Amino acid sequence: MKVRLLLFEKAPPDLGPAILAALPEPLEGGTVELVTMELGGCWDRRRRQLDAVGLLELVPPPVEGWVHLGLVGNDLGLSAVAYVFGLAELGSRRGVVSWARLREQDELWELGAVTRRRLLVEAVHEIGHALGLPHCAVPSCAMHRSLWPESTDLKDPRYCPSCLEILLPPGLSLDGP
Amino acid sequence: MGKAVRLLVVDDEQHVRTSLACWFREEGYEVEVAASGREALAVLARVGPQILLVDIKMPGMDGIELQRRARELAPDATIIIMTAYASVETAVQALKEGAYDYVVKPFDPEQVSRLVAKAAERYSLLAENRALRERIVAAEPHLVTAGTPAMAKVLELVDDVAPTETSVLITGESGTGKELVARLIHARSARRFGPFVAVNCGALAEGVLESELFGHEKGAFTGAGGRHHGKVELANEGSLFLDEVGDVSPKLQVDLLRVLQERVITRVGGSAPIPVEFRLIAATHRDLEAEVASGRFRQDFFYRVNVFRVELPPLRERPEDVPLLARHFLERYANQMGKPVEGFADDALAALVAYPWPGNVRELQNVIERAVVLCRDTKIAVFHLPFVAAPPHDLSLETVEEAHIRRVLASCGFNVAQAARQLEVDRVTLYNKIKKYGINRP
Repeated sequence: MKVRLLLFEKAPPDLGPAILAALPEPLEGGTVELVTMELGGCWDRRRRQLDAVGLLELVPPPVEGWVHLGLVGNDLGLSAVAYVFGLAELGSRRGVVSWARLREQDELWELGAVTRRRLLVEAVHEIGHALGLPHCAVPSCAMHRSLWPESTDLKDPRYCPSCLEILLPPGLSLDGP
Repeated sequence: MGKAVRLLVVDDEQHVRTSLACWFREEGYEVEVAASGREALAVLARVGPQILLVDIKMPGMDGIELQRRARELAPDATIIIMTAYASVETAVQALKEGAYDYVVKPFDPEQVSRLVAKAAERYSLLAENRALRERIVAAEPHLVTAGTPAMAKVLELVDDVAPTETSVLITGESGTGKELVARLIHARSARRFGPFVAVNCGALAEGVLESELFGHEKGAFTGAGGRHHGKVELANEGSLFLDEVGDVSPKLQVDLLRVLQERVITRVGGSAPIPVEFRLIAATHRDLEAEVASGRFRQDFFYRVNVFRVELPPLRERPEDVPLLARHFLERYANQMGKPVEGFADDALAALVAYPWPGNVRELQNVIERAVVLCRDTKIAVFHLPFVAAPPHDLSLETVEEAHIRRVLASCGFNVAQAARQLEVDRVTLYNKIKKYGINRP
């Protein structure tokens, strides 16, 4: 499954390629594109947040064999939930993720190693949802639920064997067919 | 967690429904959405969600009204109210009317995740409790009675003593249902999840009964090939029912008295004390006071056993129960044997009520079983009853012959050779009669 990253906002130039390069099996790094699109329709001025559902609708539907993941630096929320790190409709092969709440406190413009790792973990998490995976009970699995940035640090940027089993086609394993 | 839990989001704002559906599906819940109270009730009837997230302010039927209506359709469903700051007071009203909790929009993700997870846990606990309750009710023995004053008194005593830890002595003639009452006491006690272990003390020789009660170690006596756990040990945390306790030998009475006092047993041939914790329910058809007076029953053991007494009246003292019991057994045996027997002829029922039933309910049960075996009609006739001396005079010879053959075959367990001997005919003759009357083994 190839991954296309869509940068909805300006980001450090190496951020997209670094994420694609670090994606775990069975994902493959695909392309990174800067999307120049008006996000005003998703912007909630009162909450100073982007509406995650609205943003998700701006992610174009992928062709067969691809997953599309939108990346933003603005905070994401839902009309009934105060904030989310990301969102994906189960099995739709589309997702969005934000690095706004994943930043370390002293980081202003640059994204440090900790934030980059958190963003990778959450990107893997949302791609997992986009491919149909729900939350996983294994604490180190990327699909484990994270409610705070620090809890993302406890997860690995990869899927546990049970989640992998769901993602891989029947009869296939990472060691071969 | 949560994968099988069905959740219904009810909100008139499409954006809220979509975002919450997306959020909770990621959590692994099965999510349904409804835009109004009316739509929610339809989903509730169709899908049966376990958790409802209901917006309090909706046009038409609001959250409070929906909660009231939903309670009637799904009393076990957990309802969480969603509200804005402005309507917190209304949410408190919803809580008073039985809502599980309320959340203020926009929710803190951690708070709402925990709340819904707890609600899911509560639902599974409720479902588990309900299943357990149903199993207990189904397992509870049914005492069939027309509500005669004597039996009403018995049931009242059972209800009084069942929840306590008091030892119970059930007295009554043979066949009055003493074990059934013992099981009822166990089923209505706090020990109902523990074992109910019954021992018929009258049926076993002293040595065998000792080993049966206390168990034995390997090699304790000839034939003791392995360790055997006794009934007292098996009754741990449950109820021990000693039937025919009046038949227990004086030596075993002493042993049982010690167990009741010290709550410890030692297996035959063993030395290690094993702690036991059980409730004693005993039964006898004997007059234990008379047995004590004659010295055959130890007084100290009698006082231990006879703490609370339940006396079962004989069936002849409650003839109103006979038709009800007869119908109960008829239904049971007709179902078991797959026969279309539906009731009793009037004279048969009158004969059942008039009979004195020296063997009590057990005898009645046996009589009905036998009558169902013999019956080839939809109603039990008077000549199907063994205690009715002679069949009616207007029956044909063939009818009487057929009924008699059926009776004898049933009493011989359908052993044709044995039945032929009893009827004093040869087997070929009997086979021909069986064929002629179309008698089939039940």
